[in-house]
Amino acid sequence: MKLTVPRQDLADAVAWATRVAGGRAQLPALTGVLLEAADGRLVMRATDLEVTAEVGVDARIEAPGTALLAARLLAQLVARLPDGDVTLADDGERVRIECGRAKFRVRRIPAEDFPTPPALTAEAIEGSVKAHAFSRLVTQVGRAAAAGEDARAVLTGVNLEAADGRLTAAATDTYRLAARSVAFERAVEGAAIVPARALAEVDKAIAAGGGADVTVVLDAGQAQFRVGERTLTTRLVEGPFPNYRSLLPDASEVTVVVERAPLAEALQRAQVVASAAANTPVQLSFSEGGLELAVQNTEAGDASEQLPAEVEGGPLEIAFNPRYLQDGLEAAGTERIRFELRDGLRAAVIRPVAPDGEDADDLTYLLMPMRVS
Amino acid sequence: MSRPPEPILHLDMDAFYAAVEQRDDPVLAGRPVAVGAASGRGVVAAASYEARAAGVHSAMPMVRARRLCPDLVVVPPRFDRYHEVSDAVMAVLHDVTPLVEPLSLDEAFLDVTGAVGLFGPPPTIGAALRARIRTELALPCSVGVGPTKSVAKLLSGLAKPDGLLHWPTAEVVARLRPLPVGHLWGAGPRTVERLEGYGLTTVGDVADTDRRTLQRLVGEALGAQLHDLARGVDPRPVVPTRPARSVSAEATFDADVDDPAVLDRRLLELAARVARRLRRAGLVARTVTLKVRLADHTDVTRARTLPVPTARTHDVVAAARALLAALRLERARVRLLGVRCSGLRDATDAGPVQPRLLADPGAGEDDPAVDGRWGALDRAADAIADRYGAPAVSWAALLADDDPDDDPDAAPDDRPDDGPGAGPGPAATGTSAVRRSGGT
Repeated sequence: MKLTVPRQDLADAVAWATRVAGGRAQLPALTGVLLEAADGRLVMRATDLEVTAEVGVDARIEAPGTALLAARLLAQLVARLPDGDVTLADDGERVRIECGRAKFRVRRIPAEDFPTPPALTAEAIEGSVKAHAFSRLVTQVGRAAAAGEDARAVLTGVNLEAADGRLTAAATDTYRLAARSVAFERAVEGAAIVPARALAEVDKAIAAGGGADVTVVLDAGQAQFRVGERTLTTRLVEGPFPNYRSLLPDASEVTVVVERAPLAEALQRAQVVASAAANTPVQLSFSEGGLELAVQNTEAGDASEQLPAEVEGGPLEIAFNPRYLQDGLEAAGTERIRFELRDGLRAAVIRPVAPDGEDADDLTYLLMPMRVS
Repeated sequence: MSRPPEPILHLDMDAFYAAVEQRDDPVLAGRPVAVGAASGRGVVAAASYEARAAGVHSAMPMVRARRLCPDLVVVPPRFDRYHEVSDAVMAVLHDVTPLVEPLSLDEAFLDVTGAVGLFGPPPTIGAALRARIRTELALPCSVGVGPTKSVAKLLSGLAKPDGLLHWPTAEVVARLRPLPVGHLWGAGPRTVERLEGYGLTTVGDVADTDRRTLQRLVGEALGAQLHDLARGVDPRPVVPTRPARSVSAEATFDADVDDPAVLDRRLLELAARVARRLRRAGLVARTVTLKVRLADHTDVTRARTLPVPTARTHDVVAAARALLAALRLERARVRLLGVRCSGLRDATDAGPVQPRLLADPGAGEDDPAVDGRWGALDRAADAIADRYGAPAVSWAALLADDDPDDDPDAAPDDRPDDGPGAGPGPAATGTSAVRRSGGT
């Protein structure tokens, strides 16, 4: 193997692959990033057996070949090289890395154990989504997914469902649920539960300037996302995903449209008091005049704030976990948002409100109110 | 109403654990009884007066106790039971005054200043308390009545067994003088040895010694404390404890354990015991903390906050197990396991609750959120245990156990985790596991 590649391209690619899949080593081979040089391309691959990251860069290949190198070491080293072309070349048990006057020789890791991800099957369905829309969807919906080691696996995933030319994503930690769809360029049908962590990495790949579209491939047992030069393949979470559609209310008694930013700021202020004691809800009272947000905490103190709002129906009082409410406001993201409420005990809906003359996305953020005795 | 000159009572149950065992099992009455684990590292947690006559005392290795007293009946401890009885004792004390400061399961200070109008002078109150505990609970106790906490505690010790002593304030200093220095609160064996090395053998000797000299001998703080106490000076008030802040149980293994199955069984037992104690106290807990002490004595603790406060055995067990699993011990050798529940509140005032939108998938019928049977199971198990003694109902995993090193009754020592205000009293071995915050 012998090749030359611009340092910045190499650094970005190695950093991404290492971050996505180079961390949790069980086998020595998994601590490595595999370099494959052929046909004017250098392809790098890293995997932790759950997620596989693959990224290609254009390179001047003098001799094709492969090498498995320690991922973290390579990432740190390349990040510190001076700008310019980097040359990589076989040197017996090692690989020579040269850039300007800097010379390194890095020991290879035996590549035989490096796992090859299973090939996509014939049943795989494929379609593409606008990259910015996909990125937005991931941040909106992924928020509602459960995190942490002790959560049930299915709750750490995002359910992706392709049907009727749309791709619908949904996630829930059983206390709240977020779902929205984006146009899916091909009318194919399929479903998969993708780890939220993997989708967050796809989002970062988009942010790194991958391209205008994301290709989504849903297959048996795995899903693949291709954005620009980067491909992320992930094992799926085993389902079934909870049947959430039956939970979505088909009517509401009270609807409230309110400016999002002032509400979010008021909530953050109130949370200073609320967070002083675990499990303190934030209470929202909706009436003709607007809404009042209040926190009562016997240990720390109280907070309250009045905000203007367009309220239809009511009055109504409802209490939320402040963090879940905050997540809902952030997920909606628009300047104004809408609450759709039935009563103080049943699940509430938060939706984005489109600015005049624009279409809002179809996000539904459903959250269960807290019961205050 | 004038302030009584000696308003402080110290009430101390006599050989508490052993007395409870002798009361609950008439066969044990009059026989030398030691409470503690019979095997391995077991030590005597409490000895009946019959056993003490043969030289058995608490904290003594069981092997040695048996040698001293061949007739010794060794009874495994039932801390749940002692907690119950302790609650009953404390309830009697609270009938007299809210100013009750428990030091452990079996002793407490009372300030009866406000009670003399109703119940008579402090020695009368002390006698009445002893009579009530004797008739209602069939247990002996001793009471000291004095002007200060240290004097009251000293007197309950001198009154033992089954007695009451009262010193009028005017006589305290004179009566303290001939006592050996070891009677002063805070003077342990090392301190006594040091003081005696300098010829200070009685309380009077200490009282007459220059304060600075004493402080040079035994240290700044202790020197000052001993000097004050020797002269009858002790301004510390009785601080009634606020409600429990946490409930915990710990178990030290007879031999270090690396077998996950053994760890799991002990964890089950501890979590179940803590949950049961929560229910008995009418509390629910929001946080479950696991403590693991490794063979090299390093402690690892991990906590988990539950979405809904609970006193359900199922929930506490599940949280404790998840915490243990997340530690990935990989067969590290474990010396001690502990389970603690904190973030307590009254079960009837469950506070705000975050209900779920949908049942936890995968939990299926086991999900306590959708299955009330776990609560019903707890109630049934509690009822049976109340009637026949714990653990009458338990996991099959705990019963199908023929490993002598893991006798569920082997060494469940509930560590005292009293708060800072609980006072420096000589700690009985294996006392309260209910942490109280004594507002210092």
